[in-house]
Amino acid sequence: MPLHEVGLAGDHAASAPAAAPGLSERAAHVLLTYTPLGTLVRAVARLRLSVHFKLLAAFLLVALLVAAMGAMSLETISTMSKQSEAMHHAHQRVTSARQAQHALAMQMNYTAMALILRDEATIGSILRENNRLNSALAQVDDSAPPEERDVIQRIRTAQGEVMATVADVANFVRDGKIEEAMQLQLRTGYPLFQQVEGLVEQVVRIEEEGMARQREATIRANRRAFYFMGGFVLASFLLALLLGFVISWSFILPVRRAERVLGRIAKGDFSTTVTVDNRDEFGALAARMNNMSAELRRLYEEEREAARQLEALNSQLARASQAKSEFLANMSHELRTPMNAILGFTEMILDDIYGEVSPEVRGPIQDVRTCGQQLLRLINDVLDLSKIEAGRMELSLTDYSVQEVVETARTSLRSLAEEKGLKFTANVQPDIPLAFGDGKRITQCLTNLVGNALKFTKQGGVEIGARLEGDMVVYSVTDTGIGIPGDQLDHIFGEFRQVDSSISREFGGTGLGLSITKTFVELHGGRIWVESEPGRGSTFRFAIPLRIAQATEVV
Amino acid sequence: MSQKKILLVEDNEFNRKIVHDLLARHPYDLMEAHDGETGVEAARREKPNLIIMDVQLPKMSGLDATRQIRAEPEIAKIPIIVVTSFALSGDDKKAMDAGASAYLAKPYSPRQLLEAIKKWLGDA
Repeated sequence: MPLHEVGLAGDHAASAPAAAPGLSERAAHVLLTYTPLGTLVRAVARLRLSVHFKLLAAFLLVALLVAAMGAMSLETISTMSKQSEAMHHAHQRVTSARQAQHALAMQMNYTAMALILRDEATIGSILRENNRLNSALAQVDDSAPPEERDVIQRIRTAQGEVMATVADVANFVRDGKIEEAMQLQLRTGYPLFQQVEGLVEQVVRIEEEGMARQREATIRANRRAFYFMGGFVLASFLLALLLGFVISWSFILPVRRAERVLGRIAKGDFSTTVTVDNRDEFGALAARMNNMSAELRRLYEEEREAARQLEALNSQLARASQAKSEFLANMSHELRTPMNAILGFTEMILDDIYGEVSPEVRGPIQDVRTCGQQLLRLINDVLDLSKIEAGRMELSLTDYSVQEVVETARTSLRSLAEEKGLKFTANVQPDIPLAFGDGKRITQCLTNLVGNALKFTKQGGVEIGARLEGDMVVYSVTDTGIGIPGDQLDHIFGEFRQVDSSISREFGGTGLGLSITKTFVELHGGRIWVESEPGRGSTFRFAIPLRIAQATEVV
Repeated sequence: MSQKKILLVEDNEFNRKIVHDLLARHPYDLMEAHDGETGVEAARREKPNLIIMDVQLPKMSGLDATRQIRAEPEIAKIPIIVVTSFALSGDDKKAMDAGASAYLAKPYSPRQLLEAIKKWLGDA
């Protein structure tokens, strides 16, 4: 039953502290699994009381046990002291009884001596011994049981008779009637002595028996106290152990389970919940943990679902992008193939391959060629833009010559400048070393700028410049055209931008050239900027690293 | 001395006509193929002095046809001018990797093509 599994020995690796179960751990496991202790632990856990209260109650109980033990010790000590006192008392009574016996013996002795010595001192000694006997009897008589008191009374009576006889004997002795004295002593005195002696002997026996009883009672009482105390101490010890075990395990078990479940959660398994018997703070903690686990699971599943959707979307996008790329390649081919024929035939006609062309026809054919070239540039621009937008624009990196870039741009546009009657010059720093980058694209950038400059210039000229500034090659195109108003300077590199829509009507063009140029410059890690004064002309400049790092190859 | 043979592999009728008209007044023997497969077959059969190969061709692409020709020892040495569409950067590199002797980007100028032909065949 996993709900009540104890989770000690051989626990999961998640619970690091319990990795190597010790002897006490195994013992606890056995106790919890095979004895009613497990049930007790669960019962304590199920108590609807706070941990604070449970701990307090347990400690209080242990403290009460200690206090009870102390009280019992005091009680036992007091009992033993009473027993000892009683013993002492009994001993004294025995001593007194013996003193009485002794005094009697001495009395008999002195009486016999008086018959021989016949002096007053010995007679006085008889009286003294009589007094000792009486005082010893008085001590025994004090708090004596009734039957003993009876005996003592009889002793006193007999002793009275003895003393009367002794007085008579003494008088005979003083009168010198020794014979009468001896007769009286033998007939009356001696039997009376024997009677008293027997009675005193009886008292001594009674007192000695009393002392023996008292001794036995004391031994029994001591033994009883010993067993009772021992039992109580043992019971207290076991009860304290039990309390400690039950209380601590009623807290340890939920913590262990929680720790195990947290371990699983930490490993990303959100399907487990922690079940504890506790209805205290640990129970509340487990409930919170289960809430947390459920919430994590929900979030995790949401996230997984989102990731799945995103992945699906991604592959859809990738397919779309692939389709777009293929479409671009196809369109490029499909558009260029007829353009190739149009421009090819036009060139061959103008080269007189089909016979000499009359001056009247040559003009319109040249127009066809100009328009065809324009259309080709447009197609190229649109394709370039599509590639840039699709993120598939790549640079083709090789060594190239800056001089050649400028010369190619100049050659391709020289005829346009000549047609418009513009001055068209180039000023290239002669010692620029071999550059590294996409020479074709840089040529395209320069051609774009020069084409624009020629387009917007009606008189004056256009100059191309190139020089080395540190690691950068700075290309410049300066014209004497219409210029650009200051508030437009920031926008002209955006897509489809021209300074004024009326300009497109006058000068034509789509406004794609500058945007594409900017993209290529930036792909090279360079920058482009413009200075202009309306009515006086503009200078476009772009700076590109002489040798670009390979890392910027793919964008 | 017999005329030098040029094999033009091109599927577009008008572009074939351009080359045809361009070479009409020059002493070259022009043969045509309309797709990559027949282009390779014609090369095996005729062993031309120069091949002008379009890239986008039916059945077998110009690049595959070029690789095929370079793989066959008897015709491997024939100069091949590959005409690319310049659709994506790197087409020129692909052409050279496939074994092209030179490449031209479409749209090409007929004058450029003629210069290239003369360069590879020598003035005939």
